[in-house]
Amino acid sequence: MSLNLYSSQQEENIFIRKQARTWKRSGLITDGQMSAIIDQTDPEIRQTNIFFRVIFFIFTTLCSSALLGFFVWITGIRGRMAISFTLLIAGVIFYFLAEYAVTIYRFYRHGIEESLAVSSVLLVCIGFFIGITELFLGNKSSAHFTIILCLIFATCAYWLYLRFGYLYAALISLIAFCIIPFQLSLPPTNERLLLLLIFCLIFLLGINSDKSEMADYRKDRNTTIQACLLIAIYLTVNLQILGVVGLLIEDTHIIHLHPKLFPPYIYWSSYILSFGIPALGIYWGIKSRKRLVMNANIVLACLTLSTNKSYLGLTRYAWDPAIMGILLIALSIIITRWLKRGPDGNRYGFTQRNILKPENHGINLADIAAAFTPNIIDAPQTPSQQDKYFDGGSSGGGGASGGF
Amino acid sequence: MNIQKLLQKMFAEKKIDAKQLRILLDISAGRIFSVHRELRFFLYIGILTLIAGAGLTIKQYFTNLGDIAIISALTSCFSAAFIYSFIKVAAYNKQEVPSPDMAFDYILFFGCAFFSMDIVYIETQFHLLGNLWDNYLLASSALFLFLAYRFDNRLVLSMALSTIAAWFGFTLSGHRFAFEQYYREYAIAYSLIVSLLGGLLYRLDIKKHFFDIYLNFAVHFLCIALISGVAQYKIFSIYFPALLMACAALAFYALKIRRLIYMLYAVIYGYIGISIVILNLIHRQTFFIFTYFIATPLMVIALIFKFSRQFKEDE
Repeated sequence: MSLNLYSSQQEENIFIRKQARTWKRSGLITDGQMSAIIDQTDPEIRQTNIFFRVIFFIFTTLCSSALLGFFVWITGIRGRMAISFTLLIAGVIFYFLAEYAVTIYRFYRHGIEESLAVSSVLLVCIGFFIGITELFLGNKSSAHFTIILCLIFATCAYWLYLRFGYLYAALISLIAFCIIPFQLSLPPTNERLLLLLIFCLIFLLGINSDKSEMADYRKDRNTTIQACLLIAIYLTVNLQILGVVGLLIEDTHIIHLHPKLFPPYIYWSSYILSFGIPALGIYWGIKSRKRLVMNANIVLACLTLSTNKSYLGLTRYAWDPAIMGILLIALSIIITRWLKRGPDGNRYGFTQRNILKPENHGINLADIAAAFTPNIIDAPQTPSQQDKYFDGGSSGGGGASGGF
Repeated sequence: MNIQKLLQKMFAEKKIDAKQLRILLDISAGRIFSVHRELRFFLYIGILTLIAGAGLTIKQYFTNLGDIAIISALTSCFSAAFIYSFIKVAAYNKQEVPSPDMAFDYILFFGCAFFSMDIVYIETQFHLLGNLWDNYLLASSALFLFLAYRFDNRLVLSMALSTIAAWFGFTLSGHRFAFEQYYREYAIAYSLIVSLLGGLLYRLDIKKHFFDIYLNFAVHFLCIALISGVAQYKIFSIYFPALLMACAALAFYALKIRRLIYMLYAVIYGYIGISIVILNLIHRQTFFIFTYFIATPLMVIALIFKFSRQFKEDE
C-alpha cells in the first residue's frame, strides 16, 4: 500500500519528463519528439520551476509564521501549556492545508505545500516538546526529552517523505534519529558502534528493497538515500573528521574530538574501514551504474587521503593540498585518456564524452568558486596602506592585497 | 508506463528512429554512462587544491625557498599554462567556442591564479609599486578580461570581475563586509561599470553568453549597496527609488528573456528594501507589523503565481 499523495504513474511521468528535458537540451531528441513525450506523460499535477518554488516557499513560510504570531498576540496566550497546545493545533492545521493544496490544487514541489508541510512538522515537534517538558518537568532528565523530541521529529519527517515524497524529509528524519545514541549516556565507543549499526541496518534494508522491476523514479530516490547513508556510515567510522575540530579545542573530555583516546582496536579498525568503505562504494557505484553513489564515494576517498596522515601521526605540510591536487588532476587526465582510447570512445559503457548537458541558469558553481579563488591568494600589506579604505583588503584578485 | 516502454511505443509509432531508440535506451538503462561532468569536477577541484597548496607553501616557507626559486617556479608555471593555451586555442570567434579539450579551461585558470600569486609575491618582497600596489589589480583584471575573451573562459572572466571588485576595495571573503558610505558608492560604481561593460560587449555581439556572469556580479553588488542605503536613510533618500527601479528592471528582464533566477533576485531584494521602509513607518505598531507580514507575502505569492502560469516547469 502506498501512502504517497501522488500515484506511482504520476511520479514516473515526472521522472520521464525530466529525462526527456535533459535529452532535448543535449540535442538527442527534437522539439517534436519532446512534445510527443510531453503529450504522453501528463502527470496531471501543477509544477513550477526551481526559482518560483523558492519564492513560494519563503513567502508561504513568512505568511504562516506571521499568522501564527498574530494569533498568539491577539489572543494573549502566555502559559507554556497553552503555547504548546496552540503550536500543536497550528501544526495540524498547516499539515491539512498542505494535503489540501496537493489534493485540490494538485501542487507538486510547488513551494507552498512544501512550506506548510515542513512548518507543520516543526510546530508539532516544538509544541510536543514544550508540552511534555511542562508536564513531566523534574521527573525525567533532559536527555529523555531530547530522545522523545528526536523520535517525534524523525517520525514526522519520515511521514512527510512517505506522504509527499520529499527526499530531504527522509534525510532530516535520519539525522534526527542519529542524535538518539548520543543521549543514552553510553561510552563513546558504544555510541559510535550503535550509530554504525543503525546506519548499516537502514542501508541493508534499502539495498534489500532495491528491486529491478521497481519504477525508475523509485530507484533514483533509493540511490540518493543509499549515497547519503554511505556518507553517514563513513562519517561515523572515520574518527579523524571530528578530530580536526579537536585540534582547535584543548578540552580532552570530549573523546569524539580526540580520536587517539579511542581504544587502539577501534582506532585501527576505523583506519582500515575509512579506506574500505569508499573503495567498496566506488566499486558498487560503477558496477550498478549509480552515479550519486559513485561520486559520493570518490569524495569520501579524497577525505580518506586527507585524513591519512592524521591517522598515522605523520607531520602535515603546507604542500599536502598541492600533492592532493596533482593526484586528482593526474587521475582525471589518465581516466579521460583511457576512456578516449577505448573502442568508439567507450570502455565498458563508460565514456568521457559530454552526452547529457546540465541546465544553464546563467551562472554556475564553478564560476562562483572561480570568483572566490583570488581569496586563496593573499596579498601585500604594507603599513602605508592601512589607512586606505581598501585597507590591505585581504583579498584581491590578480595580485591582491595581504601578505605572504 | 516507464521510459523504456514509452520509447518503444514512440518507435512503433515512427516518432523516433532506430538509432535514436538504441541510444536513448542505452542511456536510460546505464549502458552508456557519461562521466564527463565527474572528470571535469575532479579536475577543477584538483586545480583549486593545487592553487591552495602552492599558496600555503609559499606563505609558510618563503624564507627557506628564496625569492629566485619562488618567482622562477611561479613564472614558469603560469608561462607554461599560457603558452599551452595559446598553442591549443582555435581561431578567435565572437560567438561561443567549445574548448579543444577537457583540461583546457582549467589550465588557463591555473595559469591566471599562478600569475596572481607571482605578482603578489614580487610586490610583497620588493615593493616595486609601493603605495600604488593596487594598480596591479587593475592590470591583472585587464589581462584576465583579455584572456577570458580570447579563450572563451568563464572561470577567468569570473576571476577578472572579482579582481576589478578587489580594485574597488571589495573582498569576497566576507569577513569585513561593512557597508560604510564610501563602500556603498564604490559598490554602485562597480556594478554600473560591470553592467555597462557587459551590456556593451553584448550589444557588440561579442561573447554574448558571458553577459549572465556580468549581470550576476552587478546585480548583487548594486542591490546589497542600495539595501544598505535604504537601511540607513529609509525612504528619504535616492536609494529607495533606485532599489525599486533596479528590481523592477530586473523582473522585467527576467520575464523578457525567461531567465527566472533574476526574478528571484528582484523579489527577494525588492521585498527586503520595501520591508525596511514600511517597518520603519509602522515601528512599534504590532498589529500593523503582523498585518504587513501576513498580507504582503500573500500578495507576492499571488503575483508570482500569475506570472508562473506563463512558464513551464523546466524554464
